Amino acid sequence: MHDATTRPVCLRIEGLTKRFGGFYALNDLRMQVERGHVHALIGPNGAGKTTFFNLITGVLPSDAGAVFFEGERLDDLRPSQRTMRGIARTFQNIRLFPHLTVVENAMLGEHCRVYPSVWKALGKGVLWGAGRQERRMRANAIELLEFLGIADRLDAKSSDLPYGAQRKLELARALATRPRLLLLDEPAAGMNPRETEELDGVIKRIRDRGITIILIEHDMKLVMGISDVVTVLNFGTMIAEGAPEKVRQDPVVIEAYLGEDVLL
Amino acid sequence: MLDRLIDGYTLSVLIFAGINVIAAYSFYVPFKTGQVSLGQAGFMAVGAYASAVATQKFAIPFPLALLFGGLLAGLIGVLVGFPALRIKGVYLLLLTLGFAEIISVIALSWDYVGGAQGFRGIRYNPFTLDYVIVIIVALIFFFSRLERSSLGRAMDSIHQDETAAEVMGIDVVRIKLLAFGLGALIAGLAGALYAHQATFMDSTTFNILLGVEILVFVVVGGASTYWGPLFGAVVLNAFPEVLRALREWLELLPAQWVNFYPMNAVYSSLREFLDFENAKRLIAYGVILIVTMILRPNGILTRDLMRRWHIARWKVGHA
Repeated sequence: MHDATTRPVCLRIEGLTKRFGGFYALNDLRMQVERGHVHALIGPNGAGKTTFFNLITGVLPSDAGAVFFEGERLDDLRPSQRTMRGIARTFQNIRLFPHLTVVENAMLGEHCRVYPSVWKALGKGVLWGAGRQERRMRANAIELLEFLGIADRLDAKSSDLPYGAQRKLELARALATRPRLLLLDEPAAGMNPRETEELDGVIKRIRDRGITIILIEHDMKLVMGISDVVTVLNFGTMIAEGAPEKVRQDPVVIEAYLGEDVLL
Repeated sequence: MLDRLIDGYTLSVLIFAGINVIAAYSFYVPFKTGQVSLGQAGFMAVGAYASAVATQKFAIPFPLALLFGGLLAGLIGVLVGFPALRIKGVYLLLLTLGFAEIISVIALSWDYVGGAQGFRGIRYNPFTLDYVIVIIVALIFFFSRLERSSLGRAMDSIHQDETAAEVMGIDVVRIKLLAFGLGALIAGLAGALYAHQATFMDSTTFNILLGVEILVFVVVGGASTYWGPLFGAVVLNAFPEVLRALREWLELLPAQWVNFYPMNAVYSSLREFLDFENAKRLIAYGVILIVTMILRPNGILTRDLMRRWHIARWKVGHA
């Protein structure tokens, strides 16, 4: 699909480990995500996929190992600093700001770009009065909402949106942070087949904007159709990795999914 | 200036109501980022004692002392804000409560600021009402801008989901510290104004109950809009005065209306009910708080309500 010869590395994971008590949610994980790829992360429930996202974004501290984004080590950075570096994510269970409106939710993502420091946000944004920046942030947010097809209810409370639209709004909010790496945690969960198909197109268009995507998803049709590389996790360790066609025939993967209601 | 138009009693009621409005705003700022502080009375004490020391012991002019009291309270606020970053909910309540207690114990045991005898003979500031009005207007102007700003939205987002806000690139640590420090600064200003109006204070002046009252002002008035703290503080401060006026009015009733059997019992119980000393006021606040929480859990004024009014006014204006 893309030329695979000299593709630079976007994300490099070295020996990443996370324990919860005696349970290894992730155990000595090593992997690389190449720039411009859609890289899927699949595995049975409890395999450590969401934990992986939490470690990359800094929501949870890792117990061992290192995360390199575009060659720079992230491990000492807080989540907001990682977002400033260019990593954004959505959540498996939607976490919008329910009391903010749709457009306000989308505008919030751009805050860290417009006001990189608190003093700027207070001085330029509040005391000085920032009508121009506000209008530009709003216009940018609306553009993103239009891109995702949910620009029809800008001033509704985000909690009043239907479920599918809330998922898209989360995506708009993440895109507003102008990421170079986007982590999508089960974006198709709870969507009907038509919405999932739409999502497929949206993810492709995001990729075409030059944003690398790591995708956690249980909808195998979506995963297999869209991914450049698939990594399979089970019990916190990688059991297979490669092109989608190769991974779906791997006996180890099929065994890991035994008893799960998933069509590989 | 206004003091020439109003009698002394009304003036003092207005001034203390105004100081309570400022104190309510000092609670509102950290609360906008989800930090509930019962320690605002402690920051008021810092501002009050610091400014009183400045004017009395160093003969510094009041405006500078006011600034000094506010800034010192704000600085201590940032210091207290650091441990406050890591804890939430009930534990933060306890931490702030503990802070206010520490300040109170220092005031009680430090003889330089009067110790157990209290801080006496603070220079009276004849322009307190003017200061109060200017500060409230400035605060409302500031908050009206904050509410429509990116920083305001960032604060709201922290209140609603701290982790999600942090992941969206919001600098939760600095914004929470800023909000806590700013709240403490505003409380310090309120305390400094109080000290130079009352001219006397001791370690019990800024007690836990005051911290609770400040919280009640904001929770009853509504914490989602900047009009809420103003509304809550004004209404709850006016409440005893209204009852006092009713009682005075009751005494104007002709004696022959109330000196026979069922009426005299009603009259005396009404009179007693309206006799409004401190304990009863707190009971009334408690009742008002419970009723508000049941009927309007987000406070009497909410941002949605203000927006609807705003849109309605806008439509009328353009009809």
